[in-house]
Amino acid sequence: MLCACSGEQFKFEDAPQSPESLATRDFSASGLSSRTGDWESKLEDVQVDEVESTLKEALSLNYEEARALLGRLEYQRGNFDAALQVFQGIDIKGLTPRMTTAIVERTRLRKSRSKADIIPPSVMSMHSVSLLLEAIFLKAKSLEELGHIKEAAKECKLILDVVEAALPNGMHEGIAEDCKLQEMFHRALELLPNLWIKIGYLNEAITAYRRALIKPWNLDSQRLASVQKNLAAILLYGGVETSLPPPLRVWGLTTPNCIEEAILLLLALMQKVAFGEIKWDAEIMDHLNFALSVSGHFELLAAHVEQVSPGIYERADRWYFLALCYAAAGQNEVALNLLKKVSSQSEAKREPDILALLLGAYISSQDPKHAHDGITFARYVIDLEDEMNGHFKAQAHKFLGICYGNAARISISDSERALFQKESLSSLNYAAFNMKEDPEVMFNLSLENAVQRNLDLAFDNAMKYSSVVAENSGRGWKLLALILSADRRFKDAETILEFASDEASGSDQFELLRLKAVLQIAQERPKQAIETYSILLSQIQAQREAQSNNSGHAKSSHTENIAERNMEMAVWQDLATVYTKFGSWPDAEICLNKAKSIEFYSPKSWHTTGLLFEAQSLYKEALVSFSVSLSIEPDYVPSIVSTAAVLIKLGGQSLPVARSFLMNALRLDPTNHDAWMNLGLIAKMEGSLQLAADYFQAAYELKLSAPVEAFT
Amino acid sequence: MSSSNPGSPSATATSSSSASSFSSKAHSCIQALSSILSTVPSSVSSSSSLLHDPTVSSQISTLLRDPDSGSGDNNLCRWLYDTFHSPDPELKLVVLRFVPIVAGIYLSRIALRKSLAGFEAILLALYAHETTARDGQPISVNVPDLTQPSIYHEAKSSVKTQATELNLAVISPTLEPHGTMRSSRRARIVGVALELYYSKISQMPVSSKLEFCEFCDIWATGIQNKPSSSSSSKQKTILLPWELLQPSLRILGHCLLGAHKSKKLYEAASIATKSLYERSLHDIDAKAILATSSLLRLEKMALDPKLNVDHTEIDMSLAL
Repeated sequence: MLCACSGEQFKFEDAPQSPESLATRDFSASGLSSRTGDWESKLEDVQVDEVESTLKEALSLNYEEARALLGRLEYQRGNFDAALQVFQGIDIKGLTPRMTTAIVERTRLRKSRSKADIIPPSVMSMHSVSLLLEAIFLKAKSLEELGHIKEAAKECKLILDVVEAALPNGMHEGIAEDCKLQEMFHRALELLPNLWIKIGYLNEAITAYRRALIKPWNLDSQRLASVQKNLAAILLYGGVETSLPPPLRVWGLTTPNCIEEAILLLLALMQKVAFGEIKWDAEIMDHLNFALSVSGHFELLAAHVEQVSPGIYERADRWYFLALCYAAAGQNEVALNLLKKVSSQSEAKREPDILALLLGAYISSQDPKHAHDGITFARYVIDLEDEMNGHFKAQAHKFLGICYGNAARISISDSERALFQKESLSSLNYAAFNMKEDPEVMFNLSLENAVQRNLDLAFDNAMKYSSVVAENSGRGWKLLALILSADRRFKDAETILEFASDEASGSDQFELLRLKAVLQIAQERPKQAIETYSILLSQIQAQREAQSNNSGHAKSSHTENIAERNMEMAVWQDLATVYTKFGSWPDAEICLNKAKSIEFYSPKSWHTTGLLFEAQSLYKEALVSFSVSLSIEPDYVPSIVSTAAVLIKLGGQSLPVARSFLMNALRLDPTNHDAWMNLGLIAKMEGSLQLAADYFQAAYELKLSAPVEAFT
Repeated sequence: MSSSNPGSPSATATSSSSASSFSSKAHSCIQALSSILSTVPSSVSSSSSLLHDPTVSSQISTLLRDPDSGSGDNNLCRWLYDTFHSPDPELKLVVLRFVPIVAGIYLSRIALRKSLAGFEAILLALYAHETTARDGQPISVNVPDLTQPSIYHEAKSSVKTQATELNLAVISPTLEPHGTMRSSRRARIVGVALELYYSKISQMPVSSKLEFCEFCDIWATGIQNKPSSSSSSKQKTILLPWELLQPSLRILGHCLLGAHKSKKLYEAASIATKSLYERSLHDIDAKAILATSSLLRLEKMALDPKLNVDHTEIDMSLAL
């Protein structure tokens, strides 16, 4: 065999076999092989040796080859039993070492063959090896057809063992283009995991998939991708935890678990899609979608949706998909901007996507500053000429009601506010009529009625909410307690808070405890209130310590940290107010300093500082503090009212200024009884007694229905 | 009866030295059970047969579904609680097999304000077990960095790199020890029990997974259409926060797309996934919408014959 220099080295395996070889005969008969026509021309002198050796070998091999061919014939006819019987006559075990040797010798020679190299005559031809591997493969298939899956898997594995023993580093560029050995091997690689899966041996299947993937076996990119995808799927859904054996843990970090390995495979596949190495496959995207969703990687998911080439998704679908990712990741602003695109004019031709619009309405309802966007989204849904989606329309009314309520609270015009409040209640009532059991509707109906001081309706809905929601939420209890406090039922409110804070935890519990202290102050029980506050402070401290012990995972509790800081500051502000009220100036000051050390630019801290100065009759200093407060937040109503109150005390020419402050305060918050009260004082000082009486009357009535703290 | 891999060598590894003490534990456990159930077949003599015997599990399921089950003095709850504390890991599996029904009925009955101390004791025991096993530590998922080569891919320099902070996400946060159930902790405690169930799901019988799908559907819709329940069919809304949904979705993913052979389970999982999808649309829960909609699309693709070509099928035109 000396044809290395002839340019035919890739075909040497196909050197003609002995004319007696059944394999050769079969080839020419089928006419399908690449080994057609011109083989005679290759029959050069140098190949005579090979032919000779094959002839010698054939004496022993023909029998096996004959069986292999006969078996295939039976298999093709669907006689799996007969095929199996024929295949069982081949002594595969005895032949495997020779097959391995043959692959080693012939592939080694192909690469670096010199004229001096001579293949020992005992080495099988590549063609014989292929034929035998096919026999083993068909034996496995026959066993599979007959239901002997485990035996089939064992046969299949044999093929891999033979080839892998010969090529421990895999095959980078393939053994030979027209060699069927490679094709048989590839099929065995793919079949083995399927067989294990069929009988539920998932660990073995995963091992088989990994075996197919961790070495280069020259699978074409589409088939390789398919194996990778299948491995990812079984890792994701198989429910078995089979960590990679240590030598395979190449990509550092700790022991990768199944879901991490699956994500790696899917990301690698997405990269191939991006580079155009394989075609787009929706299944890969959806597996990745599921894997990243259940593992909480929503931003990463968004990044991959962004990278999907145009044309795969329709624009509006892509925006909705992205908006879902960003909303899930807590990035509501980004999500909202995408959803505005969906509802924008440019998409008018398209059927508007009701789900995207509802998502927009929902996200907008979460933040008062998006109230007007929310109204637009919700109106869009309601105005669709579509009778099919009654349920979604009721949902839209719910968000419309919530957004109108929010819009009313940020409105600076009295008439506009009244209109929004009316719209809010009517939308929520419509929603409540159409979605009787919806807890969100009940909660918001209660809240909106409370804000508008319809305390009975507010109370009824809050009670309905707590009976519908099996799991009571902290906000439900808080609202109920505030409604009761507005109704002067402090004892009942406290009882509810006691019960609720036992059930609550985390920041919910803190809020409920603080509200309890506020109620105690309202009932002139400052000592108890101070006790409650100190319990609250120690609980905040305890939680903080617990968190610092798990510092590695601070990211997830970022919002909780902010809530905790704000809560601590609120406690110090409240305490300062209590001490101010009872004349303990130094204590009040200490508390205020604590509050300011947490957040210096808090309008409430500066307002409370002003009150402390005012209590000490230091009016000028008080005014300075109030104005600091207002420079931080110009619409901070308590500071506006307090400024007016101090100006009233200073009397004289300050009165018109004080009045204009108060009118401004009432424009922002018409239910502010302190403002009405101070207006009454001004009117009285100016001698307008009837007007003063009216103002005092308004202040009195509003105070009677005022909660201990704002509802929202 | 088929767990996914009953005969798999890795699934049946039990240390032989402790096997005898375990078998006596199993024996006393079965004896205790026979005083609660009407019949325990004589074939049930080991932990494994206890896990897989259909008559035993259907009797236990029926008793757990009884309107008065789940109270503090309930014998069966007591038995499940004690059995879970046995050192035999296989007996623990027997208890885990009933997690879907215990969690399912427990959550459905919260609104009735009945005593559920028996169910709570079991769920708290599972939670405590997991807390100890994990030493309270969170479980996180690292997304591998594609700029580093791995066994599955070569690094490509031009790939946009993700910020490192994107790469770590906690899928199960720190576990604090809880001795009592509170409404604010309930979802987390039940969620952890489901996480534990998921970790052993390959050893769970199909009947148990079917029960999970059944209750998942009830949680999502609030509608109970089992004839066995005599009470009203429409229930109060069960809140489905992410800490409960996340492990449920993983279990559901297994039931819907896992490599098992039960057509019934595929169908039940499909129904439950659809219900959860509808529910997540109603709640406008973006996380749940993403996860459930991807499952539904994957299910559709799995059923599409065009997309499921068997590459190992011998194409005879290619044969030698």
